[in-house]
Amino acid sequence: MQNNKKRIFSCKNLEMNFGGLYALVDINIDIFENEAVGLIGPNGSGKTTFFNVITGIYKATGGNLYFMDEGLLGKETYDIAKKGISRTYQSSRLCLKLTILDNILIGMYNNQTAGYFDALFNRKKLIAEVKTFKERAIELLNVFNPDLIDKLFNPMGELPQIDRRRVEICRAMAGEPKMILLDEPSAGMTPDETAEMMDDIKKVRSSMKNVSIIIVEHNMSVISSVSERVIAINFGKEIARGTYEEVSNHPDVREAYLGKEV
Amino acid sequence: MKRNFNFINFFTIAAVEVAIFFLVMVFFNIESVWTLVAGLILVVAVVVYAKACKRQFSSFTGIFSSDKRTVMGVLLVLLLLYPLISPHMIRQNTYWLLILIQTGIYIILALGLNIQLGSTGVLNLAVAAFYGIGGYTAGLLALRLGIPAIITIPMGGIVAALFGMILYVPLYKTKGHYMALVTLAFGYMIVLALDNTEFTGGPQGLMGIPELKFFGYSFLTKPGGLHFYTNYYYFTLFFVLLAVLISYRFYNSWVGLTLATIRDDEVAAKCCGVNSNIWKGISFITGNVMIGIAGAIYAHMIGFISPHNFSFAESLFVVAMVILGGLDNILGVIIGTIILSILPEKMRVITEYRILIYGILLIVIPMFRPSGLFPFNPRRYHSSVAKVND
Repeated sequence: MQNNKKRIFSCKNLEMNFGGLYALVDINIDIFENEAVGLIGPNGSGKTTFFNVITGIYKATGGNLYFMDEGLLGKETYDIAKKGISRTYQSSRLCLKLTILDNILIGMYNNQTAGYFDALFNRKKLIAEVKTFKERAIELLNVFNPDLIDKLFNPMGELPQIDRRRVEICRAMAGEPKMILLDEPSAGMTPDETAEMMDDIKKVRSSMKNVSIIIVEHNMSVISSVSERVIAINFGKEIARGTYEEVSNHPDVREAYLGKEV
Repeated sequence: MKRNFNFINFFTIAAVEVAIFFLVMVFFNIESVWTLVAGLILVVAVVVYAKACKRQFSSFTGIFSSDKRTVMGVLLVLLLLYPLISPHMIRQNTYWLLILIQTGIYIILALGLNIQLGSTGVLNLAVAAFYGIGGYTAGLLALRLGIPAIITIPMGGIVAALFGMILYVPLYKTKGHYMALVTLAFGYMIVLALDNTEFTGGPQGLMGIPELKFFGYSFLTKPGGLHFYTNYYYFTLFFVLLAVLISYRFYNSWVGLTLATIRDDEVAAKCCGVNSNIWKGISFITGNVMIGIAGAIYAHMIGFISPHNFSFAESLFVVAMVILGGLDNILGVIIGTIILSILPEKMRVITEYRILIYGILLIVIPMFRPSGLFPFNPRRYHSSVAKVND
């Protein structure tokens, strides 16, 4: 089905056992380059856990996972991030006390070259680098919300929810990752804001050449408009996969969301 | 046209700063507590009024914020001139000179702790213990081995950093409150060890630590008839300026940004590739170098140190300075330190209840004004990065 596209991520028999509670059971997912995959399932089905396992926040208790042919099992979060995986969070993890620029710059942490001693003795190199990265931040903000460019040095806490999400997405994109995990980007948004968010996600793909997205969502209109294929999980197990139409009509998926017909 | 404008600005800035300079010396001279309290209330009232009428004063304060170099330059000149002018203006001149030197040492301490606590969120309750390690290192090297000051001062910082690395082993991967508890225990252990070891002089500590001597110039010399404290004043001023420069350079860099994201959201930082465990260690060690050097200067100047100079109460004192000033706000920390160092000296009433008052401050400030003295301070990296829109 994925003709000649390179596989960038795969997990086999992935299991996450929290002392008897199986949050993920026998998950087998492949992600190919330049695709958008939706991940759906009722609350507590294991979607965010899956993201946490990929990024090393939880260490998988069984199975294996690979990114760009390198094993991720047991690796630390910061090492996994360096390989080219970035993410956003269900309840935004932004540094509200810092400026908008700071919040996007940290997304480019892996690309910096001016370190500890440069901060003291080679200010020229540091400042030149910050200026370059600032341009990249402005480039990204231009795509999502040009109004924010004037507020680069304002505190993050001042922004409304949808702009915070946008900055979080900018942060995830800033380092030019190969795979971005979006965790319920439209959570807590009004229908108008959700529509804007859908456009934003499409902009992610159009403004970055080779990036794959896994998007977790409860809002089916977002999933259907953004993802090329969908995987549904419940109680940590995969219950369906295919196009959005196929999955949304699958009996197990309907049962998971709507309950069993008596 | 522009040149004239600059002259007016320059004189305004210089006039205001010189006025404040002389007011400070008047403050040092006041004997009666009630005059003093009245004066302080007046100052606070003026500050509150100015903040409330921000807009009316904005053109005036604008002169200061747009010409930072002049502000700093005039300040530096005044600080350099102080020991020359003060004997003519202040009755108890040498007493206040000593207080100012002590304040300078506390500023270096507070800036070191600010890197750990303010920037990174590592609550180092053993800050006084590392201060003591710096002092004892310099004291022992100078007293027992006759090693010159040019080595003992940096060694104070290096040994404090080494002990910081030792402490960091149990701290590695510990979180938040537990980290604070481990540092608390470490602080007590160090003081107990110093108290019970003959080599470090036990409870009596070290006495007769030689004064600083550089290239044959002894710091006990009286330069131009002034008190010998003047030597220590300029020496400490140099290190204060160095500490401030280093703090600002780290703040306006990847280092400052990385540490701040670890403080504000460690998980997000890690997902951006930040090895938070290593960085917390780096911040810990960097802060300790400053803290240890402050201790070394103190030991040489006073000539006598003992374990109970570096108790937990002393740690709380420094923590209060950083919290009052505002975490990760260099100017705030400096001013907070100045307030907490100089005020008690003037108001004997406070000195008796010092620990009580600092305890209250440590509770009240996070409740009502957690950002400390100053509000939000954006990281600008450099004036060329943060172009000011005209």
